Amino acid sequence: MEQVVENKKSGFDKYKIKKLIITLLPLLALILLFVAYIVILNINDYNVMMNLKTLLNQSLILVLVATGAIFIFTLGQFDISLGANALFSAVVGTLAYKATGSIALLFIVCIAVAVACSLLNALIASVFHLPMFVTTIAMLSVLTALATFLIQSKGSASGTSYSITLPAELVDKLAPLDTVAFKIVLLIVFMALMVFIFNFTKIGRKQKFLGGNERCAKLTGISISLFGIIAFALAGLGVGLGSSMTVVYAHTVSTTTASSIGMSVFIAIVFGGMPINGGARSRIYSALIGGFSYNIMTNILFILFQSMQGVRDGLVQVISGVFFLVIVFVASINYRSKNLPR
Amino acid sequence: MEAINRQSKAKEIGKKALGIFTIPLLVIAAVLIVCLSSGQMILTTDVSFYGFTRYTAVVFLTTIALSINLSSGRFDFSIGSLSTLSSVIAAKITYAMLSGSGASAPVMLLISIIVGAALGALSGTLYVALKLPPIITSLGVTLIFEGIIYMISGGRYITTETSNSSMVFFRENWWIHLIIIALALGIIYLVFDRSKFGFNYKALRAGQNISVNTGIKEIPNAIICYAICGALMGTVGFLQVLPGNQIATSVLNFGSIGIMFVAFLPMFIGGYIGKYTNDKIGYLIAAICISLLSSMFALFNAKTITASVQSIVTAVLLVGFLIFLNNEQTCKDLVNGTLIKRLIKQYKEKKNRGESDDKPQE
Repeated sequence: MEQVVENKKSGFDKYKIKKLIITLLPLLALILLFVAYIVILNINDYNVMMNLKTLLNQSLILVLVATGAIFIFTLGQFDISLGANALFSAVVGTLAYKATGSIALLFIVCIAVAVACSLLNALIASVFHLPMFVTTIAMLSVLTALATFLIQSKGSASGTSYSITLPAELVDKLAPLDTVAFKIVLLIVFMALMVFIFNFTKIGRKQKFLGGNERCAKLTGISISLFGIIAFALAGLGVGLGSSMTVVYAHTVSTTTASSIGMSVFIAIVFGGMPINGGARSRIYSALIGGFSYNIMTNILFILFQSMQGVRDGLVQVISGVFFLVIVFVASINYRSKNLPR
Repeated sequence: MEAINRQSKAKEIGKKALGIFTIPLLVIAAVLIVCLSSGQMILTTDVSFYGFTRYTAVVFLTTIALSINLSSGRFDFSIGSLSTLSSVIAAKITYAMLSGSGASAPVMLLISIIVGAALGALSGTLYVALKLPPIITSLGVTLIFEGIIYMISGGRYITTETSNSSMVFFRENWWIHLIIIALALGIIYLVFDRSKFGFNYKALRAGQNISVNTGIKEIPNAIICYAICGALMGTVGFLQVLPGNQIATSVLNFGSIGIMFVAFLPMFIGGYIGKYTNDKIGYLIAAICISLLSSMFALFNAKTITASVQSIVTAVLLVGFLIFLNNEQTCKDLVNGTLIKRLIKQYKEKKNRGESDDKPQE
């Protein structure tokens, strides 16, 4: 009897340990990558502080957008128009800032436009019973086209490309926000808010329930439309902050601004240990861990292949793709279905 | 009795014809109205006509390629990168073999199809081996394919390998595009509607678990689907080279994904028309409609109707059509003027049901 209890106990512990390792795997990977990055920077005589600052700039916008988007992914849905939304809100925010010179208005307009566009997705889908994915594809086309139209009509041409650039005096006004301290504070405040909503309120719990078993959640009285709208509003908040910080950092918007954000969001959250189908295993910090991990990994690869100038960008992307598949495969090894996943 | 049968058959045929031809007729009417009001006509020059046939082929093949996996619940982001990569590899191999002479274009087309099929099979094999959701596998595959494109081309346009007289011949002869469309339609029809593989594919699409339990082999079926999809996109990659005799290879960071967006509207329109005929015929009719609209936009210079306006129009059409598809009964009631009557009836029924639910059970 004692043996049985002991076996049960050790089995339970084993299970717990295994689960803990799987949960902590993305964080451990981030720590390892970070240590490796610092070592490689030092070995190659790179300026560590400068590179860490660049890493923060690279990752901040992705993490802001992806963390908000986790609320959508938790529901088992996804929004392909996030990048286009970031571009459009950045364009409108830049125009508002150029016209008024008010930094507050830059942030307010970026957030308001992003939330409005995001909500429009949710409303069209819920009112007209459309598949969310297709709605966001249409929105991607509309927002990209509108942003391009605004950039071409209000911006200036340089060769064949157009952009809206801030004048020097407005760039100077943004300098206090383009600091490491401000960016870290913004990231901490935003993450704290998102963690609180996701882990300590009914919103997060009900969204995980909906993502795990929509039918069951619906039968217990949880409104799919309402929580869809909340998810898209929170995603809009992340996009709005991300687009504001894009303007603060880049001082210019062109048609290629935030162009890869939409897809990078997928990579970041999956890299951070989030299941693509959402549900109970969703983690709000996935975007933070995944966004930084992915950027550190690509930065390391860029340093390692610095001598291969002609093919370096392509090679780094190939290796990143392989790493991405391997890491996601290892992380999901416990969740294999008998049939092919769909 | 026979007369009644004949009448109901005629009614059925009329209903089918209406379902098949309403959208194309509406598109033709819209194009004619725009053309007449602007005093210009589409497809009057050789350039515009072979542009129309080539674009129809591109839209048709992309739509089929997208729908093969999407209708089975497998979303594939990598078809754009696969298309570009197969054309890049085919252009390099063809140039190494023939140095731009003689039969460069047909050889490049053939190699594009073979390379596309091989890349598609590779993508499918990765999907079945890793057993990850297809959307995730396709993201990884896209990153890898785009990276390889950059490594081969250095991010520069490929022009030397694709600038030759046979490519011009392929561009300027509309009948070649029609042959490609006809062959693709025939082969896809035979493979998906007249073969054991096709029946298994449909069974797996309708019920994955039950099909696997009855002995249908899902893994080879999925890999073949990816390979066919790759062959189609290889052909699209070749057709995309024709207008400018060049391949744009600056596609890092998911720059290739836009290639598949052209297929969403025709896929839904084709799916709707497919309810009244074969779905592949539906896709072809939808591709012709999209190509007609594109030719109409091409009438105006870039200042009057920019690419942005075209994108907005296409997106609005997509949303509008989806709203119609998902609310077909409501739209029909709206046209017939019976919508309010139906809503009142539904409200009353709901109210009565609510009252009876409130009554205590005996």
